[in-house]
Amino acid sequence: MHKLVWLIPLLPLLAATVIGIGYLTGLNRGEAGEKQTRRIAVGAAALSLLLVLLIDGIALLEGVPGQLQFGTWLHSGEYAIKLSFTLDALGLSMTTLVALLSVLTLRFSVNYMHREAGYQRFFMVLSLFMAAMLLIVMAGNALLAFVGWELAGVSSYLLINYAFDRTTATINATRAFVTNRIGDAGFIIAIALSLFWVNSVEWPAVLSCTSTLEKLQVGLIAAAFLLAALAKSAQVPFSPWITRALEGPTPSSAIFYGALMVHAGAYLVIRLAPLFEQVPVLMLALVLFGGGTAVYGFLAGLVQTDIKSGLIFSTLGQVGLIFLECGLGWFTFAAWHLAAHAAWRAYQFLSAPALMHFMGRPARPVPRWLARKRWLYTACLQRFWLDSLADWLLVRPTRALARDTQAFDQQVVNRLVGLPGSASAVSSLAQWESIKHGQASRIVGDSGDIGQARGAVGQLMEAVATLLHWFEEHLVLKGGDEGIFNLVQRLGKGLIKIESLLSEPRYLILLIVITFIVIL
Amino acid sequence: MLHFAGYFVGLNVETGPLRIILAATAWCTLRNPGITRSPRNKRSLFGMHLLTSLLLIPVFGALLIALLPGQQVRLIRTVALAAGAAALLFSWGLLILFEPGTTGLQFVEVTPWNPRLGTSYSLGIDGISFPMVLLATLLTFIAILASANIRDRTKWYYMLVLLLEAAMLGVFMAQDWTLFYLLWELTLVPLFFLIGGWGGKRRHQAALNFVLYTMGGSVFMLISLLVLFDTTPGHSFAMDTMTSGARALPVYTQVMIFLGFLIGFGVKMPIFPIHGWLPLAHVEAPSPISILLSGILLKMGSYGLIRAAFMLPEAMVALQPLLAGLALFSLIYGGLLAWRQTDLKAMIAYSSVSHMGIVLLGIATLNIAGLTGAVMQMIAHGLVAGSLFLLIGLLYERTHTRDINDYSSLMQVTPRFAFFTSLALLAGMAIPGTAGFIAELHAIIGGFEAWGWMILLISVGMMVTAAYSVRTIGRLFTGPVHSRMRDLKDLQPVELTAAGVLATGIILLGIAPQPVLELMAESIAQLSAAFTGIQGS
Repeated sequence: MHKLVWLIPLLPLLAATVIGIGYLTGLNRGEAGEKQTRRIAVGAAALSLLLVLLIDGIALLEGVPGQLQFGTWLHSGEYAIKLSFTLDALGLSMTTLVALLSVLTLRFSVNYMHREAGYQRFFMVLSLFMAAMLLIVMAGNALLAFVGWELAGVSSYLLINYAFDRTTATINATRAFVTNRIGDAGFIIAIALSLFWVNSVEWPAVLSCTSTLEKLQVGLIAAAFLLAALAKSAQVPFSPWITRALEGPTPSSAIFYGALMVHAGAYLVIRLAPLFEQVPVLMLALVLFGGGTAVYGFLAGLVQTDIKSGLIFSTLGQVGLIFLECGLGWFTFAAWHLAAHAAWRAYQFLSAPALMHFMGRPARPVPRWLARKRWLYTACLQRFWLDSLADWLLVRPTRALARDTQAFDQQVVNRLVGLPGSASAVSSLAQWESIKHGQASRIVGDSGDIGQARGAVGQLMEAVATLLHWFEEHLVLKGGDEGIFNLVQRLGKGLIKIESLLSEPRYLILLIVITFIVIL
Repeated sequence: MLHFAGYFVGLNVETGPLRIILAATAWCTLRNPGITRSPRNKRSLFGMHLLTSLLLIPVFGALLIALLPGQQVRLIRTVALAAGAAALLFSWGLLILFEPGTTGLQFVEVTPWNPRLGTSYSLGIDGISFPMVLLATLLTFIAILASANIRDRTKWYYMLVLLLEAAMLGVFMAQDWTLFYLLWELTLVPLFFLIGGWGGKRRHQAALNFVLYTMGGSVFMLISLLVLFDTTPGHSFAMDTMTSGARALPVYTQVMIFLGFLIGFGVKMPIFPIHGWLPLAHVEAPSPISILLSGILLKMGSYGLIRAAFMLPEAMVALQPLLAGLALFSLIYGGLLAWRQTDLKAMIAYSSVSHMGIVLLGIATLNIAGLTGAVMQMIAHGLVAGSLFLLIGLLYERTHTRDINDYSSLMQVTPRFAFFTSLALLAGMAIPGTAGFIAELHAIIGGFEAWGWMILLISVGMMVTAAYSVRTIGRLFTGPVHSRMRDLKDLQPVELTAAGVLATGIILLGIAPQPVLELMAESIAQLSAAFTGIQGS
């Protein structure tokens, strides 16, 4: 049974591929294709879940399988990355949770997304996400987990962008993705450090590094992983991306931000518990970030007026609490909290669209103590200006820098290398017409005349060519050919003159006299 | 030359052209003169002198044309084509008999000419001259094919072209310096009349210029030859005897003699700064003659230089830096001037100066790779310049302009022109997959062996080449359709054949250069062996 573990994340991935190919070839487009699409997606997910449950059953009887290996994925020099899965108590229970919630969400979406324009696309991305999430929790090493980590990020981007014809959706998707990339950088650094110091990225090897490495090295690896975890789980100060992520369809919000993806960071921290326990500073950081996020989620959640925002802030508060628990060293408790919260929140999000029908009384107003403190109330409403802070600190400077480099490129680099810039474009429709009819000879500024060049190197080349041309004209051609002609002609004239002089009697006599003198 | 005289005598007696050929062939076959110095002489087919026969085919063609009435233009052209084709088939047929793996000359024929002076009529080919012979017959045939538009004095025109072919073939096959010099000078006569008679507006100046320049160079060559003859003990003009004599000379004398050869051959090649005749002659000559000029005549110069270098290796080693410097300068100089030209033919002419710079660079490396590159570049440039002059000539016949600014978007009107011209220009840039690439690669490898990273300077020349080639492709074939160029005729079947043959050659040599490399490998190894001993000491 354990030999089939790799099928668990592969099945949803295959489903995504099949749906994608089917859509490209036009086999499952439109409403007629919905049945086929959902059968593939839900079927693959259910099969996955079945496999997981079977392994669970075996685990209950015989104990957890632990680390499983399926050959080598990459091999370069002394570095080898294996295709391995970690199905210990934590991994297996998380896998069960992910598979179960994913299947439920997929089934829910079958009705919810009916007759939506991007039905096939939605199921494809959701299957992809399921595969990614399974990879994260099952992976036996950091690199394989990172593959899932990134796939989850990409599918998150694609689902926030579900309504890609709306500007807000695309802006939010980009913002969420870019924020996540900060965490990805941390993950990559952590992988690199592990490879460098531990020579392996297998979870058991990384976790046992505490005995061989120095405190600082352990701390650095753990800190890099912590950065990844904070970004993925939307802890302060990365929190704003998750509110922007609500742009996607409700089932995706449920599974991504309510239940599963938001917990990926927490899972990573729990997985790496032995590392964090070695570094008190990081435990403190976990407490601070987690506590901060819990307070942030609680306060900002109080003032929300729409149901999805209210739910997401309360999610943030709970995930913050999970981090806090980790910081206090209660990792097992945090894992229980995680599972319970994920299940509960998935239910809440999925029922959110229908929740209004069940609500008998109006929503609770803002509590009085908060309403009284106006500065706090404003801060809550503004979500503690985290978004504007990121704008001010990162987005605007980056944009300004981009503008400056663009200007530098156009003003200096383009001129230096002689790129035409925008001058060669057709400037008017009339010009286009005349070019089409063969009247205009060439587009103005299209390219210089023969022997002219743009750019610094081009100018140099032009100058040298002009110099050589002058040399050729004056010395080689005129000095050579015409010079020879002139010389020959002058010589000929001189000879004719001597000849004519010699033919005159006086010179003839003189010549004879000279001859006689010489002979005598 | 005795043979020549014999035919002229026979001409007066006989009447029918067919009988002349039969009689002369029989005479040639039966006489079988000569002191055979090499056992390879046995290879003469049916006791006949193969190389003499090859030399005589165009001469016969010319004689036959001389007997035809001048009004029969079509018949004259047919005879010329037949003669060209016969020479082509004959020379390419020699490939079957030629043994690439053997050192030294093959198909050798020696007949004493003037024993007191030590001259002889001796022919022979090796791995360096044989490709040149093949190139010469091929390009001459192409040139005759492309001469369909010559309408006045066709009789004289074709006679002169065939005589030119005979003289060129003789230069590549001669194994005696007197014979070499004689045939070298003999090429001038038909060319003078061809440029002066059928050229462009400034044809008279161009023809005179060409002859004066080459004669001027030849004087230096003659002096060198005479000095060499005088100082060598053997008192013979045969190439091998002279070589052994010359190598015994002190370095200073060798250098002085070599400088004479350098001027003589450098004019023809051409090497900067004695290339003044070339732009005018190439531009003013009728297009088929431009094909021959750049395709073969220039190669005579570099071929002669290789022979002289083999004779005077110590001088060559001493002058190596000078030659390399001249080569690099020619490369960049020619390229930059080509870039400045608005006249398409002038552009190709200057690009020839640039490309022959690579040949000189390859020769100057004095090692196997470089010399292979030089000979390959001679072949590649023959094909590339030949096809460029062919195509531009055909284009000029249709548009009557050679100014690049008058052209635009020929891609849409004449796609075949566009394809073949682009291919030739790209091959000139030495794009991989074309003959030029193999040549430049060898030259660069050879240069790297000889001078190390200094050879990177060659890349400047390559960039300039790319600049004018791509510019020309862009100007000719892209852009808006010119109203004047709307109804140009594309390549006709005959023209297509000519262009297609050259293009095939360019690509074949680029993809599968091995047979040609093997053909010349032995001779080049022998050639470079002459320098290795000197360089080592």
